[in-house]
Amino acid sequence: MILEACVLGVILLGFSGLVWQPSLLLKIIALDVMSTGVIGYFVLIAARTGVFTPILFPTQSVTYADPVPQAVILTAIVIGLSTQALMLVGAMKLSKNNPTLELDEIERNYLP
Amino acid sequence: MTEITITWILLPLFLGMSSYLLPKLARYLTVIAVVSSLAYGLQAIVSQTPITLELLDHFGVILSIDGLSGFFIVTNALVTAAVLAYCWVLPKSGFFYTQLLILHGSLNAIFISADFVTVYVALETIGIASFLLIAYSRTERTIWVSLRYLFVSSVAMLFYLMGAVLVYQANHSFSFSGLLNAPLEGIALIFLGLFTKGGLFISGLWLPLTHAEAETPVSAMLSGAVVKAGIFPLVRLSLMFGELSPMIQLFGIASAFLGVGYALFESDLKRLLALSTISQVGFIVASPTVAGFYALSHGLAKASLFLTVGNLPERQLAKLQATVIPARLWGVLTMAALSISGFPLLAGYGAKVWALEQLTGWQSWAMNGAALGTVVVFAKVIFIPFALGASQGGPGTKGVTGGFWIGVLLLLLSLVIANGVYLPAYTLANLLKTLAVIVGGWGASFFLLRQFQVQLPRVLEYFQQLIGLISVILVLLFGGLWAWLAF
Repeated sequence: MILEACVLGVILLGFSGLVWQPSLLLKIIALDVMSTGVIGYFVLIAARTGVFTPILFPTQSVTYADPVPQAVILTAIVIGLSTQALMLVGAMKLSKNNPTLELDEIERNYLP
Repeated sequence: MTEITITWILLPLFLGMSSYLLPKLARYLTVIAVVSSLAYGLQAIVSQTPITLELLDHFGVILSIDGLSGFFIVTNALVTAAVLAYCWVLPKSGFFYTQLLILHGSLNAIFISADFVTVYVALETIGIASFLLIAYSRTERTIWVSLRYLFVSSVAMLFYLMGAVLVYQANHSFSFSGLLNAPLEGIALIFLGLFTKGGLFISGLWLPLTHAEAETPVSAMLSGAVVKAGIFPLVRLSLMFGELSPMIQLFGIASAFLGVGYALFESDLKRLLALSTISQVGFIVASPTVAGFYALSHGLAKASLFLTVGNLPERQLAKLQATVIPARLWGVLTMAALSISGFPLLAGYGAKVWALEQLTGWQSWAMNGAALGTVVVFAKVIFIPFALGASQGGPGTKGVTGGFWIGVLLLLLSLVIANGVYLPAYTLANLLKTLAVIVGGWGASFFLLRQFQVQLPRVLEYFQQLIGLISVILVLLFGGLWAWLAF
């Protein structure tokens, strides 16, 4: 229960960072924090039934963690990584003419 | 059938990778993918038997193919074909076609998927491929616009992912069928992701800028096919769970009005088209049984509008009113605009009549009002002056290519052929009503709208607000679901 509250807290923290941070770079980091929280949530739910690695032991039965959410979140981690990489490249390109990467500044420059 | 489906779904991805390695063949490889999608989609519409495939047990990938998927797949194939024809003579690199093919393939994947993880993976791939396509011209502005798109879509997908795991926790499966076993917050989070991706209601306000600032062929692809990626799962869920459909319908109606309301006062032609996409998406969601056909007619018309508008000398309506445009371009614009307005003999007529027939009570009145609004909006497009001998394109445009005509003719021809899908629409009462609406709308546009010009504030479209709007929608969704399901 406390763990779940912590994980949800991380997600919320990331989201509030997305809303309040003024700089594009900090926003990208906030997005990463948020996705870390979501990953943590998956791991937490997978561990509801037990924490052992799901390997079949012929002699004993253990309470193993559910492998399906873990497999799914692995995909999400990879996708998150590539998205982050792309965003950072975009920020790099933008930083040439907007060195501070402040969002208000960028929007004023590029919006009609 | 399983083997055919899997081969077909993997084909565009494989061809996409190949076209990166063999850029000279890229265009021909794209043709193969498009033709195979068209054949598969038509087959799915014609054969009345829905197929469900369960790969790798009940927690694995679940696919389901029926007529609804068929219509969406055909839309995707035709729009991609038109975009391909348009780009044929333009100097696009192999990389462009790789992204186009990957986008096409992931759209196909979403149109047959029936579990939340497949939808998630496909939506993320669509997000990344669209990002790269929007940023293809590499100007700072397009990079910013695409970065903004990727941001909004990533945030939405993170929320969606949380919803998906809550569904899994309740069912030990990601299948669509277990949605209602999940807690309310799970349903709300999933809908939030889909609403944002599909450009529905205020969470879709990222859409006008993104679609308007992208290059011409990319805009056509985004508005014609890509927005349907977020909409399709919503339609599926709305058809599966009668309890949820009133709420989805409510958001659809709100979206129809929001889009039309903004578009009425818009002075930029490309933004007007993008805003109308928001409202048309609302129509699709509001009557889920007709969603496939409506999506087809909207996709074809909107793609040809975007392709044509990209070749006009101006984007500002006021300046266009002062010039004359070539009659042939005007013809294309008018035909597509008439279809979206619901003029007889074009697919838009059948789709609109059929969609409005599905609604009853106040919803029917509301949507008829939104349809009238659409006519008024597109009257602005139709009333652009034209002349037979007007020169093509202005300074800075290269003029119209042959590929453009092939693409647009394909789309318009399909609009006429697709008209045959719902022939019962041609009753005297329907025809009279439609003509009355159209004449009334044109009159309203001609006499009233010219009198006053209002510039609506765009403050809600700023990045900061977009993220804020996502949380607003979450609250609305949660409240709505609580009211609908808890009592």
